[in-house]
Amino acid sequence: MNNLTSQQRKFVYLGAILLLLIPIIWLGMPADGTPNSGGMISRLRQELDLGESDLGDLDPSGAAMNLALLGLRGVAANILWMQADEQKNHKDWGELRVTTDSIIRLQPHYVKVWEYNGWNLAYNVSAEWDAVPDRYFWVKEGGKFLQRGVERNRRSPDLKWHVGRIYGPKIGLSDEARFFRRFFYQDPDPQYDKGPDPEFNNSSEDNYLVAKRWFQEANDAESKARQTIMDRSIFRSYPARSQLDYAAALYKFGFKEEYDREVGDRKLTDEEAKALEIRVREKLKEQTRQAWVLGLDDWTKRYGQELFSVEYLPGIIVQMRLEMAEDELRSLGKTPEGIAQLRRAVDQYQKMNNYRYWRTRALCESEPETAEAHWALFAASEEYRKQSPAARTFAEQSMALFEKTLEKYPELKDEDNFVEEALTAVLVWNLYLRLEGEKPPEMFPLKSLWDEKQAIVPEIERRFERDSRTNY
Amino acid sequence: MNFDPVPFPLLQSFLLWLLVVGSATCIVLVVSLIATIATVGARGPVVFANELGAMVGDLVSLSPRRIFALAQLTFREAVRRKALMVFVVFAILFMFAGWFLSSSNLAPEFQVKVYVSFVLRAISWLILPVVLLLACWGIPEDIRLRSMHTVVTKPARRLELVIGRMLGYSFVGLTVLAVMGVVGWGWINRQLPESAKSQLICRQPIRGELTFLDREGNPTKEGINVGDIWMFHSFIEGATKARAIWTFEGVGPHVLDNEGNLLLENRFQAFRSHKGDMRRSIYFQYTFVNPETNARVPYQLKTVDEGRGRTDRINRTLLNIGESSKTDGKKYDIIDDMVSKDGRLTVEVACVDPGQYLGMARPDLFVRTADLPFYYGYFKAVACIGLMVLLVIFMGVSVSTFVKGPVATFLTFCVVIVSYGARDFMGRIVGDPIALQKAAQYSGLQEMKKLEGGGVLESIYRILWHMNPTTELPAGPSTTIMQFIDTGLVNFLWLVYRILPNFDYFSESLLYVANGFDVRFDSCVLACIMVTLAYFGPCVLLGYFALRVRELEAK
Amino acid sequence: MSTTGQPREAVIEIRNLTKIYRDFWGRKKVRAVNALSLDVYKGEVFGLLGPNGSGKTTTLKMLLGLLFPTEGEIKILGQSASDVRKNERIGYLPEESYLYRFLTGEETLDFYGRLFNMTNAERKQRTEELLKLVKVDHARKRQLKEYSKGMTRRIGLAQALINHPDLVLLDEPTSGLDPLGSRDMKDLILDLKAQGKTIVMCSHLLADVQDVCDRIAILYGGELKVLGRVDELLKSQNQTQVLSDQLSPAAQAEVEAVLKKHGAKYQVDHPTANLEELFLRTVQESKDRPGRRLIADDPAVKA
Repeated sequence: MNNLTSQQRKFVYLGAILLLLIPIIWLGMPADGTPNSGGMISRLRQELDLGESDLGDLDPSGAAMNLALLGLRGVAANILWMQADEQKNHKDWGELRVTTDSIIRLQPHYVKVWEYNGWNLAYNVSAEWDAVPDRYFWVKEGGKFLQRGVERNRRSPDLKWHVGRIYGPKIGLSDEARFFRRFFYQDPDPQYDKGPDPEFNNSSEDNYLVAKRWFQEANDAESKARQTIMDRSIFRSYPARSQLDYAAALYKFGFKEEYDREVGDRKLTDEEAKALEIRVREKLKEQTRQAWVLGLDDWTKRYGQELFSVEYLPGIIVQMRLEMAEDELRSLGKTPEGIAQLRRAVDQYQKMNNYRYWRTRALCESEPETAEAHWALFAASEEYRKQSPAARTFAEQSMALFEKTLEKYPELKDEDNFVEEALTAVLVWNLYLRLEGEKPPEMFPLKSLWDEKQAIVPEIERRFERDSRTNY
Repeated sequence: MNFDPVPFPLLQSFLLWLLVVGSATCIVLVVSLIATIATVGARGPVVFANELGAMVGDLVSLSPRRIFALAQLTFREAVRRKALMVFVVFAILFMFAGWFLSSSNLAPEFQVKVYVSFVLRAISWLILPVVLLLACWGIPEDIRLRSMHTVVTKPARRLELVIGRMLGYSFVGLTVLAVMGVVGWGWINRQLPESAKSQLICRQPIRGELTFLDREGNPTKEGINVGDIWMFHSFIEGATKARAIWTFEGVGPHVLDNEGNLLLENRFQAFRSHKGDMRRSIYFQYTFVNPETNARVPYQLKTVDEGRGRTDRINRTLLNIGESSKTDGKKYDIIDDMVSKDGRLTVEVACVDPGQYLGMARPDLFVRTADLPFYYGYFKAVACIGLMVLLVIFMGVSVSTFVKGPVATFLTFCVVIVSYGARDFMGRIVGDPIALQKAAQYSGLQEMKKLEGGGVLESIYRILWHMNPTTELPAGPSTTIMQFIDTGLVNFLWLVYRILPNFDYFSESLLYVANGFDVRFDSCVLACIMVTLAYFGPCVLLGYFALRVRELEAK
Repeated sequence: MSTTGQPREAVIEIRNLTKIYRDFWGRKKVRAVNALSLDVYKGEVFGLLGPNGSGKTTTLKMLLGLLFPTEGEIKILGQSASDVRKNERIGYLPEESYLYRFLTGEETLDFYGRLFNMTNAERKQRTEELLKLVKVDHARKRQLKEYSKGMTRRIGLAQALINHPDLVLLDEPTSGLDPLGSRDMKDLILDLKAQGKTIVMCSHLLADVQDVCDRIAILYGGELKVLGRVDELLKSQNQTQVLSDQLSPAAQAEVEAVLKKHGAKYQVDHPTANLEELFLRTVQESKDRPGRRLIADDPAVKA
């Protein structure tokens, strides 16, 4: 070394720096989300299922930032947070996105930060946009963001639950659900060529089923770590709820989605279209019923059988299941007083979780007749819109089937959803008759229900008309 | 665009500058006179007059050769002391910046914004510490090592020393900046995703004045607030008589594009009070009005492209589609028929959907003339950063003539940070009309009042005794004393506020480019030049004065 | 050599010069120079002597305007010390060469040349001359931080001479130089004197001062203790010095015999540095009797 001139020494240093950079890059480059991307450390983290919390702060970009901030990361995060808030107020979305990324680089294990910002992107920012595709873009951003949070915080049940919420209710229950569900498998961004955005949806499943998977993962994580979002007995219902939501969504959106998917870019003749409609209905009839069967199973056999220990009254903790057999109730309650108390607890929690509603509904929807009745009603509505005589046939068919179900499950008489559907069937039938200038006969199926619930018929009619109008 | 570019008030600013610099000079002169009398007694005024005469003599006998010699020395010093190592940091930052900016999902114009503002911010925040340290340590080190002795025992004036230092550091700073600017430009061009590259442009807008009509059709200064926290944009209701009316000046055939279209670009916002038809965005309609003849030609409906903005190419020949569906079938030429003789064109904007709202602020509609290439605006922004660098150098060198290196660095750093971050707030405390107007505009209010609650002591008192700002303070000598001291402090704050440079213009230059606009000369570049110039003279004089009255040998 | 009686042109006039250093609170701390008055005449080599802290460097720095006098007046080349224009005709070699260590020898001279507003051609020519004169020609392209102490001194001297100064102020000119360099420096000073330039030097090295100075001032504790012509100051009225070269022991014995015959007290040895004696004596006496001025030949001071 001593023989080197100063210049040569500098070159040696430079060479050494470059040499050292190679392992840094090889080891430290962060993954961009696709598998096997990023440096050695990110890959190992993926392979060995090690969240960062197990390895320590090893995200090099975040660590580099912390280093550069000389340990003032809390201060920096605060400043960035204020900036993000201002950018949100100023509708400066691009900058907001970058600021958000910087915040989580500083605080990658602070679950609430992920939660808050993910929610902000998917709900608040999304709602600020007027065009539905733009709104969907930000829902996706929120979802992707939260998934990155999950990667860094694998043990947190909360983050997984939040991801599930975006895939499930955010997409499926928004005002824009019709569009969001469609964008889920047919992204509006031309770069995906009418396919899904693979970063957000890499399966061909329904958004609710994806959500179900996430909720299930959240439940798995929850058995090892505490969740902080809501009552445990509700938290654990989400996978089953997603299955039920899925089944319900198939009714609501399934036909149009499936039909359009089948048609694609083709042009159909009237006959072809008719044949396709029938085929799709038949397909969905079975698919939906299966979904309900599975939903019932998830609801009553899995979720319903979970053992919760709940603080029923202040200081009184009881062990209970939502679906409790009498003898178990007795054995857990021990004393008559205890049994009574347990019974009240179960009742209260069933109410709180809407447990019985979903149980009844799933049970009823699992019946082949109900499925038949549903799709007959669906067909009747469609035909009525086309003012085709088939509307009458379908409506009558549907009415008969609903009546049959009602005979089987008389308690459905007080179940709003069922009542509404049954009455809608009668309504369509009535409307069609009115169109034809006919008077309804004295006797018809569901007459007693129709007469009994006359008070709500105008509301149902309004709803039916609005749905027909907006059913694009 | 999140800010409203207004032309720099040149005359007003100059007068204010004269006032501040003039009064500061007077204060310095009076204080020095008193100090001289205090130290040398009765001969004071004579000594003072001689000294003043000598200073004026120095001012008029500046030698460019000496100044350049000192500047070159400064430049060599910086270079040979490895100031250019900053490039290494710069290079490392840019090598790894891609890691932080990989949100490639964003819409192209957002990406441009993110990349461009990253590069320009990185450049300014990297170069500032370098020039700050250089400028603040140069003279103190020169004095400490006594190498300055050898210089001041030559005919070099101390004024030349100050100017030479400033000039030298300016060369260093600008050289570093130029290299960084070019590298940054290359980096943007290379790193920016292909899809976003078409957005690398400099729009040249003609911005108009905006007024409103309310839902009854009465003129008003602003529209409705739909509940945004930031009230910069105001909204007009659809299917009412509410209108947003822009009047553009300087419109003529030269603003049309090659195919003879008038380009109107807007960034309207949509607000829905009901879901409406979700398949499409909200409709709006332009109506072209000749401000002289009042000829009106409505244009076909367009939909809002919220968050993105849209450019409408309006054919020179307008077919009158008629208001309320009465078409006269006549054709109008947008320049010949709609523009007044003095080049004014009025564009009315209406929201068409009932129950929905359209939001806008003045910069949200403009006539887009031929675009300039990106580098044009980019390098203008770099030039504005350069002016900021110069300003920091002037301040640093000036401060370093009377305090030691670390103190000078800290002081200059504080001035930069406070000017950058807290100047507006100070303006609101001292009740400066410009600061209040800016705050009002920022929050969308008509006007903004001076911050309430009194000065420092009063505020502390009110906080401790849980008193709200409107409660009268108890009368008594303590209140009087408290308020007297507070008044003094606020007046001092006023002085500080006046002395601190306005860094807004420098940071705004970056926003123009990041938002895809050309950096306007009258509202930004000119302002940057003026601010920098305004500080050059006083900084030089202060530095000279301090260095002259200072015994270089004394420790 | 000026002789008494002729009106001599004063290049530097110092009258009643006082410098008081104060501390942060303005309290008097040190009286570094006290009521100093002296003149330096054109064409002479003037030495300022004194132990450390005697105020000689302070005086020099006040002459140059680096320090401001607390009281008193300085006229240098007919101008006030604070007037920068006087520097046109002054060359100054600081105590340690306070030069820019990152410049090369050549750049250093060029830089200072430009401070004198010299044209390019002038600077080039002068740089060449001086580099040769002070013998650092071989190292002209090297940065000063690579220079040895002696070389730094030489380049320092070169920069002091760049403007053909009429008055050269040298602060410890021979410090850090080897005997050869020291000799060169002294030759150069005499050379400059021969060119009619006035030279003021501060030094500790009394032998050097004795060799080259026409007049000296000895300062102690900020006060002038001795001022006068070197030859006169060292001349003792009732002593005779016989100097000889190559005197054989036999010849020496003969001389001794002659002296003995006349009854004179005598002493035979080799000549000593007499200035050193004077200096030490002055310092000692100043300590014993503070505040007393010993010897002065200067009319300005006597007055």
